[in-house]
Amino acid sequence: MNREWLGEWQRLSPWAMLSLLLMQAAEQGRQHLPLLLGAGAGLTLLDAVGWRELLLAGAAGLFLALLLAWRYYLRFRFRIEEDVLVVHQGLFEHREFKLAARHVQQIAIRQPLHMRPFGVVEWQVVPMAGDAARIILPGIRQSTADALSARLAPAMPAPDTVQPPHYAVTVKGLLLHGLSSRSVIVAAAMLSPLVRPLERWLHDAAPSLALGDWLPNAPLLLAALGTLALFTLLMLLSIIATVWRYFGFRLVDDGGRQIQTRGLLQRQRQSLTLERLQVVEWVETGLGRLLGCGYLICHQFGGAVDEDRRFVVPGIIDGKQRELLPAFWPGVTWPAEWLAVSRYYQRVLLLRGGLLAVLLLAGGGALLGDALTAWQWLLLGGVLMALVVLGAHRRWRCQGWAHSGGYLWVRHGLLGRRTHVFALHKGISVDVRQSWLQRRRGLATLHLHLAHGRVALPFIEHATALLLADELLAACGPSSVVEIPGQVTP
Amino acid sequence: MSQDASPTVEQSRLAETPLQPFSPRLAPCLALHKAVSWLLVVLALTWMPLGESELLAWRVWLVAGAAGLGALGVALAWCEARRRAYALREHALVQRRGLLVQRLQALPLARLQHIETRSNPLERCFGLVRLACFTAGGRSADVVLEGLSPASADALKQQLLARLHANAEETSA
Repeated sequence: MNREWLGEWQRLSPWAMLSLLLMQAAEQGRQHLPLLLGAGAGLTLLDAVGWRELLLAGAAGLFLALLLAWRYYLRFRFRIEEDVLVVHQGLFEHREFKLAARHVQQIAIRQPLHMRPFGVVEWQVVPMAGDAARIILPGIRQSTADALSARLAPAMPAPDTVQPPHYAVTVKGLLLHGLSSRSVIVAAAMLSPLVRPLERWLHDAAPSLALGDWLPNAPLLLAALGTLALFTLLMLLSIIATVWRYFGFRLVDDGGRQIQTRGLLQRQRQSLTLERLQVVEWVETGLGRLLGCGYLICHQFGGAVDEDRRFVVPGIIDGKQRELLPAFWPGVTWPAEWLAVSRYYQRVLLLRGGLLAVLLLAGGGALLGDALTAWQWLLLGGVLMALVVLGAHRRWRCQGWAHSGGYLWVRHGLLGRRTHVFALHKGISVDVRQSWLQRRRGLATLHLHLAHGRVALPFIEHATALLLADELLAACGPSSVVEIPGQVTP
Repeated sequence: MSQDASPTVEQSRLAETPLQPFSPRLAPCLALHKAVSWLLVVLALTWMPLGESELLAWRVWLVAGAAGLGALGVALAWCEARRRAYALREHALVQRRGLLVQRLQALPLARLQHIETRSNPLERCFGLVRLACFTAGGRSADVVLEGLSPASADALKQQLLARLHANAEETSA
């Protein structure tokens, strides 16, 4: 790449302004959809104001938006000074961002469908400070984005460069990921603003709203049909959301980086600097465990909460995670056996769950009174206690840990299971806690503070917890000889 | 258990770290803070308008119960403060706190990003300072040392900054 070229001030692509306007309009529309269409608010406003005034207000709003976009375009510029990205932006206040190449944690390039005809992409860079400090260039030419990536992440290949992926999601993996991941919740959330308009449309269009006219008479058939319809709809939505996001997912090993490409209409390319990788999390949801499918999340400092911005490897089936992990950290091997935590953990969970069940029953008794008969209360209590016993056992069974090759593995869960893997020198701080019961039994809970949050290892031997803490501290520093500062006195 | 025995681990047992206590003024400071909090609860219960409800007859007992819990809380806070201790090791900051749930916290100095000293009005009355240590990616302080005298807080801060500087030089080298 020509170094001089990026050394001069660059502007956004003019098409980026159009893209920004479209995206802002869509975002505002999505956010205010219930306000505009819900409960007839839009029609009421139209009746009160009138068509002409509404159109005039719309035109004025559009003119103002165009003016603001023009000012934003004029004030937004960027360039590379040595190995530092400098960005000037701001509508009413001037802001300058500087990011050195050595502080780059992740680079992402997104290309929504409406940007494709113009060859424009959205370029994002996440510094070591975390996702909150993410810098976004909302619309630049593909060639500029590639040049920027090459300057700040020299090993990142251009999209035209065809490299064989070491992992590519299969159709089966994509479908299973759709069925088992949390995409269903995302899809439901995305469609939630449409519920009210749909309800209004049904109210106007349906011949009768009496429930009995719509439903079959047989209760069992009704229950089965309802469950089937709901299940099918949720699964369909989940699969659509997954295909939308992860279609064509491929992961390329590029020496010190992993580069993923994905997306059905909105193509996205993300690079992960392995040196900055802190924790890898292997996630299996409850349904995912049944279907034999899971996904990996690569955590860095200050990681994004939004799943779309995280570095996720979806639709992993047939135990492929065992082959993928060494690509992130060479030498790491999946543990052959897991160490269980103390049985006292199960007893404590039973005690907590039992107390909660008793409280629920007492609260239910106070509210419902004589609404239930004695045997119904007994049945309810029995079911609650069975759930508590099963839950406590599952939690205890899922909790486990392993330590090998300088890596610590911690897993936990109830129906699903999450496994955290990290090198000991990636730990941020460590905390050994002992309750009164744990002190009596010589146990402790080890809290490990990692880049993505806290991971607890409950009810292990106190000596083991201290040993692990010692190893973490030793891994973080060359030596830890005790030294009390003489001049520091309380 | 497949532990990787490291030679340095033998030299640096966390449990054997000699700890030094915080300022003796920390116990009355925390006890007073706790007492004021509970006093507000007791006063709220005392003057809470109950009208003609059945709770009116129980008000005395409610207030007495809250006062008893408050006294217990103050006593526990006093004992807990007396038990708190800390140590600065070559590559880690260690703090012990807690009474019913005891906690031994260790922060490797290599993870330290910046340090803040803070003090609220009550702490200033007792001549105490808090030292908050932040790490990368953390939104709040990872380790907070409460109950340091300003002189010891300043000395500790200088030592931590010197370590930070040394770490930065090692990293850049």
